[in-house]
Amino acid sequence: MIYIFDGAMGTMLQEAGLTAGQCPELWNLEQPAKISAVHRAYLEAGAHIIETNTFGANRIKLSHYGLEKQVEAINQAGVKAARAVGERALIAGSVGPTGKFISPLGDLEFDEVYDIYYEQIAALDKAGVDMLIIETIIDIQEMRAALLAAKAASKRPVVCQLSFSGDGRTLTGTDAVTAATTLEALGADIIGANCSLGPAQLLPVIATLAKSVRIPVSVQPNAGMPQLVNGKTVFPMSPAEMAEWVPRLIAAGAGYLGGCCGTTPAHIRAISQAAAGHLPPVPAEPPAHAVRLSSRTQTIWLGQGFPTAVIGERINPSGRKALAESIRSHDFSQVKKEALAQVEAGAMILDVNMGVPGIDQAKAMKQAVADLSVLVQVPLSIDTTDAAALEAGLRTYPGRALINSVSAERERLEEFLPLAKKYGAAVLCLPLAGSGVPHTAAERVAVAADIIAAAFAAGLKPGDLLLDPLVLTVAADASAGQETLKTLRLYREMFGYPTVMGLSNISYGLPRRDIMNSAFLGMALAAGLDAPILNPFDQLMQDALAASAALLGHDANGAGYSARYAARQPHSPQSSAPLNSADIIGQIRDIVVKGGKEAVLPLVQAALNSGKDSLTIVENGFTQAMNEVGEAFGAGRCYLPQVMLAAETMRIGFQALRSFLPAGQPANAGKVLLATVKGDIHDLGKNIVAALMENSGFKVIDLGKDVAPEQVVAAAKEHQPDIVGLCSLMTTTLPYIDSTIAALRQAGLRPCVMVGGAVLTPEYARSSGADLYAPDAVAAVRLAKNYIKTVKERPLS
Amino acid sequence: MPVYNAALRRINPKETARYAGLKNSGDFPAELVAAACLEAQCLASPRGIWQVYDYSCASGEIHSCQPVTLEGQHIRRHLAGCVSVAILAATIGPGVEERAAALFGKGEYTSGLLLDAAGSAAVEEVADSLERLIVNNGAQQGYGATPRFSPGYGDWAISIQPEMLRLAHAGEIGVNITASLMLTPRKSITAVIGLYPTIPAAASPQRQPRNCQNCPHRRCIARKEPEQ
Repeated sequence: MIYIFDGAMGTMLQEAGLTAGQCPELWNLEQPAKISAVHRAYLEAGAHIIETNTFGANRIKLSHYGLEKQVEAINQAGVKAARAVGERALIAGSVGPTGKFISPLGDLEFDEVYDIYYEQIAALDKAGVDMLIIETIIDIQEMRAALLAAKAASKRPVVCQLSFSGDGRTLTGTDAVTAATTLEALGADIIGANCSLGPAQLLPVIATLAKSVRIPVSVQPNAGMPQLVNGKTVFPMSPAEMAEWVPRLIAAGAGYLGGCCGTTPAHIRAISQAAAGHLPPVPAEPPAHAVRLSSRTQTIWLGQGFPTAVIGERINPSGRKALAESIRSHDFSQVKKEALAQVEAGAMILDVNMGVPGIDQAKAMKQAVADLSVLVQVPLSIDTTDAAALEAGLRTYPGRALINSVSAERERLEEFLPLAKKYGAAVLCLPLAGSGVPHTAAERVAVAADIIAAAFAAGLKPGDLLLDPLVLTVAADASAGQETLKTLRLYREMFGYPTVMGLSNISYGLPRRDIMNSAFLGMALAAGLDAPILNPFDQLMQDALAASAALLGHDANGAGYSARYAARQPHSPQSSAPLNSADIIGQIRDIVVKGGKEAVLPLVQAALNSGKDSLTIVENGFTQAMNEVGEAFGAGRCYLPQVMLAAETMRIGFQALRSFLPAGQPANAGKVLLATVKGDIHDLGKNIVAALMENSGFKVIDLGKDVAPEQVVAAAKEHQPDIVGLCSLMTTTLPYIDSTIAALRQAGLRPCVMVGGAVLTPEYARSSGADLYAPDAVAAVRLAKNYIKTVKERPLS
Repeated sequence: MPVYNAALRRINPKETARYAGLKNSGDFPAELVAAACLEAQCLASPRGIWQVYDYSCASGEIHSCQPVTLEGQHIRRHLAGCVSVAILAATIGPGVEERAAALFGKGEYTSGLLLDAAGSAAVEEVADSLERLIVNNGAQQGYGATPRFSPGYGDWAISIQPEMLRLAHAGEIGVNITASLMLTPRKSITAVIGLYPTIPAAASPQRQPRNCQNCPHRRCIARKEPEQ
């Protein structure tokens, strides 16, 4: 049969006299008869399952009314009010959102939210509900916290209903397939969608959910999309209109139907009548032995028939000093960079290993997983031998992770497998026993079978398990490659589970390991490897993967292979243009204009070798180039980043030349004191001016940002600059341009004052007493040069 | 209303190039822009928060505990017909700006400039996510929502910033203000989103789109040229 839930509670209570600002759940204690009356109305309309009036009866929501101490009493009273309608109904304890986000998306810790739900669910369970329904949740992490709490606090079945937006995702980005993957693995008994959308918009969501899970699917739509009429939110869909969607929702896979916002007993009666006589949908049969992993926003399949899934191995501090140090000092920017770059290079899963000796691995794993969960879309593999680190990672991860790995050693089986079950993770089985390393394929299969048996005993199933064939070093054992390949073939014959392995052990101790690794990768993929753990930046590996994808039939007609390689020319060491010594200065000019940072040093060297003197290189090469760039910028033919790139290129060339320059050369163009005025904390524009000034031969004294007038005066006295450059970006700090100039003049200092900044106008510059106004950084340099020229050419008086 | 630190899953390289002043220059190495986006993504700590208040569009008054009256033709026109306003604050923290300054110090001007631009693009993305959440929450109750509008747009004076921070509870996400009304961290935003009843439809007025053509800063290097 099709089970029917009830409809909205809030609107019914408003009709019964609840006013805005009153706590609806408090009526469980104060007006239980009115609550029971609503339940009775739904029961009489045909509902099989009654939801308790406890949607907002968690500590956080109740604290808005000062009722946070009454969680247990309000939930118990809610169950009692539902039970009062008689034994015919099934009572579902309703659990709604806290209204806050969990870290790193919000300011609540996962464990706080878990405790909040545990408290409410324990109260509902104690009061004797038949099932629990966690509903209207928009963030998968909040659902995970509530579901884990439900599994710990109660033995009752749990319905997990998320709210999806019009794009088929929850507000924090989880799509229906991914929600299904994560929540079914975590032990949800029924999965579904409610609120937010009407039946029309929820239909595709329900169809997707039903195709993705073996468990039943529920749906409780709003009565259409809301409208605001006379200050009140109304839902326009009539009972009859809503009932029209029922056969289609059932056909899409819903076995449990009800209503959310705007639905009334009349809607439920219509839904119940429309559902009568329909058989419950047949659950889907997802591929039995393939394994799904999920992140917050994405699901990927591993196994036979699916494309090879590359697992990026780079987030691993062993043998990588800089990465290890950054993790040790709680700086995860390096970890994040590795993650993004590997995904960019094609990794579909990221292995995360925090094995830095002497650190709190659990803390580091928690931080890494939290950071990566909001940075990359691909699922993670938690790589550790430390049970505390494993649990920290799995608990924090808002998806279904892979555990890398579980060996046949007793403590691993006893500690890791229950964690996999509890957190809905998939398990990579590594055939290592306490007794040592099994050398032959037959021995490995036997050990793997032991791990599989233990995993089943812990409640895991096919679909949760992956197998590692074990890779030993071919330099130490000539049969190492063969045994691994044989193990892969036996795994596929005997178990059919997806296979995963790290390849690089095979080439340990040999030269050009990349060649050996890539050849082995091709063979392993042919023998049935589904997911290699490798360095995605390794070009040979990428080549082997691309070719293998076509050869194994994952890349129809080699289309992907062709797209990747057709345009590429093979590497040729002679491909760089020969140096033409005839116009070497011209080439230097060109390379500076183009911003060819890498190419400038060889050119400078070549110029020196061909007998050019350093001053000529600077003046006819660098300076002219920068003049060209400046002109192009002024004419709108090039833009600021290109100017900066040219300046940087010149700087690199200039620094290399410095030791060759005659003492005191090139002539110091002048001394410039720069500051962003008091109150202004922006220094980018001033930094750009400083960079260009320095490159043009000025000596720059940079006082930084937020510089008070008296600091400028003191520095001007000390350094006696030719020019003082003042910058202000915002209207609020413009007055400090005036007061700084006034302070300089008052101190009897008469340097040329140049001003500039986003909101500064020539008129303002004039009125402030400045000598020069620079509309942009390139103009600032030009003006400064002109000024120095005029001053120097002026006869001494 | 809650803190919402939107996931920063990408930073738009096109927007980054625009903020860096690249306009439509095609011959600038795209990999430099991509590298800056990636680095900003690693250094950013996105944070966001918002609060909703009743609003009288006739008087321009936000009905907070200490009411605030909005001054400025553009903002008043933008919120015409609105009955509530969401005041939001978003930031990516100080990491990006610190690194950009350090890059300048090392002579890596281009990376510094591009990283700063990627930071600007990033904080806009964070505000976009917040805006989506606010728009969605409003829609749940039948409200339509205006695009977000920030102090400094049009003739809306930035002297409102201290009130904006107070209204948004921005202190909770570490956004503060200097005596000269600059937000710290620098890569931070405040904005208002107006909520108006969707029925009757006639109540929704003509609103000026938020774009560069309506902005008085004509020399801004990030200015978008009108599409031909």
